[in-house]
Amino acid sequence: MLVNGVVLAVNYALIALGITLIFSIMNVLNFAHGQMFMIGGFVVYYLYGIFKVNYFVSLVAVVIVLGAIGWSFETFFFRRMRRMATREENSMLLAVGTALLLENLALSIFGEKQRGVPPVVTGVFRIGTAYLPAGRLLVMVLALALIVGLLLFVQYTKLGRAMRALAQDREVTHLMGVNVDRVAAYGFALGAALAGLAGGLLVTVFGVNSGVGNVYSIKAFIMIMIGGAGVVPGAILGAIALGFVEAIGYELLPGSITYLLIFTGLIIFLILRPQGLLGKPWG
Amino acid sequence: MAILDIQGITKRFGGLTAVNNVSFSVEKGAILSVIGPNGAGKSTLFKLISSFLPPTSGRVNYNGHTITGLAPHEVARRGVVRTFQETTIFKEMTALQNVIVAHQLRCRATSLGIYFSSAAARADEERFHNNATEILDYLGLSTVKHMLARNLPHGHLRALGIAVAMAAEPKVLLLDEPFSGMNIEETDAAVKLVQGIRDRGVTIVLVEHDMSAVMRISDKIVVLNFGTKIAEGTPTEVKRDEAVIGAYLGEADEEVGH
Amino acid sequence: MGLEINQLTHHEGSGSSRIASENGRLSFRQKLRFAGFVLILFVAVPILLGRSPYYITVLTNAAILSFISLGVWITFSIGRMNLAQGAFALVGGYAVAILATRYGVSFWLCLPLSGLISAALGALIGWPVLRLKGVYFAMTTLSLTEAIRLLALNGGDITKGATGIVNIPRPGAIGLFGLTIVPEFNGADPLPFYFLACALLVLGLVAVWRLSTSRLGWVFRSLRQNEDLATSIGINVAKYRVIAFGACCFMGGIGGAFFAAFHQNIYPATYTISDSVNFMLYCFLGGLSYIFGPVVGAFLLVIAFELLHAVQDYQALIYGILMIVCMLWLPNGILSLGTRHDGKGKYGGR
Repeated sequence: MLVNGVVLAVNYALIALGITLIFSIMNVLNFAHGQMFMIGGFVVYYLYGIFKVNYFVSLVAVVIVLGAIGWSFETFFFRRMRRMATREENSMLLAVGTALLLENLALSIFGEKQRGVPPVVTGVFRIGTAYLPAGRLLVMVLALALIVGLLLFVQYTKLGRAMRALAQDREVTHLMGVNVDRVAAYGFALGAALAGLAGGLLVTVFGVNSGVGNVYSIKAFIMIMIGGAGVVPGAILGAIALGFVEAIGYELLPGSITYLLIFTGLIIFLILRPQGLLGKPWG
Repeated sequence: MAILDIQGITKRFGGLTAVNNVSFSVEKGAILSVIGPNGAGKSTLFKLISSFLPPTSGRVNYNGHTITGLAPHEVARRGVVRTFQETTIFKEMTALQNVIVAHQLRCRATSLGIYFSSAAARADEERFHNNATEILDYLGLSTVKHMLARNLPHGHLRALGIAVAMAAEPKVLLLDEPFSGMNIEETDAAVKLVQGIRDRGVTIVLVEHDMSAVMRISDKIVVLNFGTKIAEGTPTEVKRDEAVIGAYLGEADEEVGH
Repeated sequence: MGLEINQLTHHEGSGSSRIASENGRLSFRQKLRFAGFVLILFVAVPILLGRSPYYITVLTNAAILSFISLGVWITFSIGRMNLAQGAFALVGGYAVAILATRYGVSFWLCLPLSGLISAALGALIGWPVLRLKGVYFAMTTLSLTEAIRLLALNGGDITKGATGIVNIPRPGAIGLFGLTIVPEFNGADPLPFYFLACALLVLGLVAVWRLSTSRLGWVFRSLRQNEDLATSIGINVAKYRVIAFGACCFMGGIGGAFFAAFHQNIYPATYTISDSVNFMLYCFLGGLSYIFGPVVGAFLLVIAFELLHAVQDYQALIYGILMIVCMLWLPNGILSLGTRHDGKGKYGGR
């Protein structure tokens, strides 16, 4: 149970970090995040599941595909929206539109059925009284590696630092000569790729269908609401919280009651602390 | 008797003490200025007085009753109204609409009556329209009353902010940097305006940087530095106070020159 | 400053809006247009399309979806993006379902009751939640849609879980002194539901117009434009936010109640996140500055969706593309096409 919590938490962290990245850099709440997760799952399904491409190669493909999607969204859609300087709700609405677009695109291309992939590794480990399938362990390790990689990237590389600067102050970063548009596009690409990677990892555990988009978007929202939108440690905290609560909930309670409780708890939590655990107060 | 009595107001944000045990009182009908270097806690003080922020300790009495702990709109209802920086206006409304909206406190009709346009509601609207026009005239805004607030030139925005506050019929008006960014003529006009408002029976507390205006207009001055009151008194007394000179007036001499 | 004398009195003749959301008085042209709209709804459509249940049903859907979206419009007017309307439509639907099937309450009584129940729930949840703004509010309300769906799913015996409630009776006749004012709604004829839907829509439009042009509407505007300033002049921001949200949920509940009787069933999945999103989209597409916005948006999209029936498989996809195109090229909505400067003239406007 706790082990499952860890597995979930780590993967959810990928999702939370992705959406936090996009939000902090561009001030846009990526409503399509769940759909991007889903597409990642499908890419792996087709490449690894159907065409028997090496799993890790297919993960790279996920990065390319979702990166391209994220990059295009910023370049063609959101940048335009920013130039137009309309009501602030319009960006959010555009984000909702992109989610619709991806959702319907996926539905058209992939159909409605639930898909699964063969396990990447077989075997089961024993930790105390818990059983941990090797597949889940692999997924957890990979997710962890990706998170560490991301944090290092953001901390030490030029592009990563540019992204952080952009998140803090757009004007100043621009004045310092950074090509804000390009960094934003890469930021979106990276955020999208993270979502897709999470999808590509979790498809080996849960499978995928074209309807999970909204479900995972909501998970992403819950995580950043708990931890605080736009801050990296908040995202991680939120992921840990959700991962464990989910694992424990599904273990102890029947079906959908878990999320009902999560939502009720969330609303009460937000009433008491609207900015999440670590976030800046919004609005 | 003092209309406003600040008693030991303190505000701490985590480790930072923004306002530290500040006490002073404001006489009815007076103009009191709060001055101090940037970051001295002046705007925090305003927020505390008008209940936009809860104090860590201490309280504020208005007309003998404690208003600390009341909701900010309640405090406004009672007669303590604050203004904001100039960009705080209803941007998508005209100047006239701004001031009319601000009459909300003076509604005699109920919400239901307002919805169904009862006689009381219609009488209200007529009253508000006339009153708003009068206020705008008084503040020199009658020529722009049908202009969208976001298109108003900077000087008019400040006046509009005051017009909006006045529609709420304040007994105590908290003016946030009413003279900032003004040249000598504009400041003169603004000083006369503020005095005129005081003559209409409104007690005025203002926060300001412009020392010459403050010296001219104030009955009493309170000086803050790093959140603590370091001096209080008439303009002449404060000018001579050594602590003040050390903390603030030294810089300000350069400012007055402009 | 370039004042144009003839524009000093800007209010009269800001005829850019179909129904001016700010003007207290409608110009003759606007009254004419509204009358035309009502005539088309109540006279032209039944005459021209009365024989075709399919089209009547489509228009019925459009009418009630506009009605529900009008509610969301109200929350937009206080500056919130409300993605919870699906939840309150669901509440309204279940209210009718439970009251009618379990307690035999007449539909005509259920209808306003559903509205009131939804409004009460909205006020309760809204009171704390409305403190949130922007994305936080959007995320929370989106989650609320899901939460209510889950509540319905796990409602045990009362909501009957995933199987939902079926066989909801159609509205019965209303008689007075032995005369039948409203005939019993039977299954074969969609017209009675159509007329009811249109009646609700027209009533809703008038009610929201009145709200918007009254002082309440101005209070809402002040909330949208600057909550702090509104507080400083004594407006009880929390109270008015709840009033607006309650009104929105009221309309959502009534819409949901209508559909429950129309389709004679209700399930937890009847309203999903997509629906909450759609209500919001209808408002945006039509134009947020215009009360007719949600109506235009809903009618256009519902009809367009049906027209795309031919390209069945790609229907949803084209729909999505249309959305993005509209957002990028018509950010102020379709109704803003009639005005210069996106409907934000130097004088008046939003």
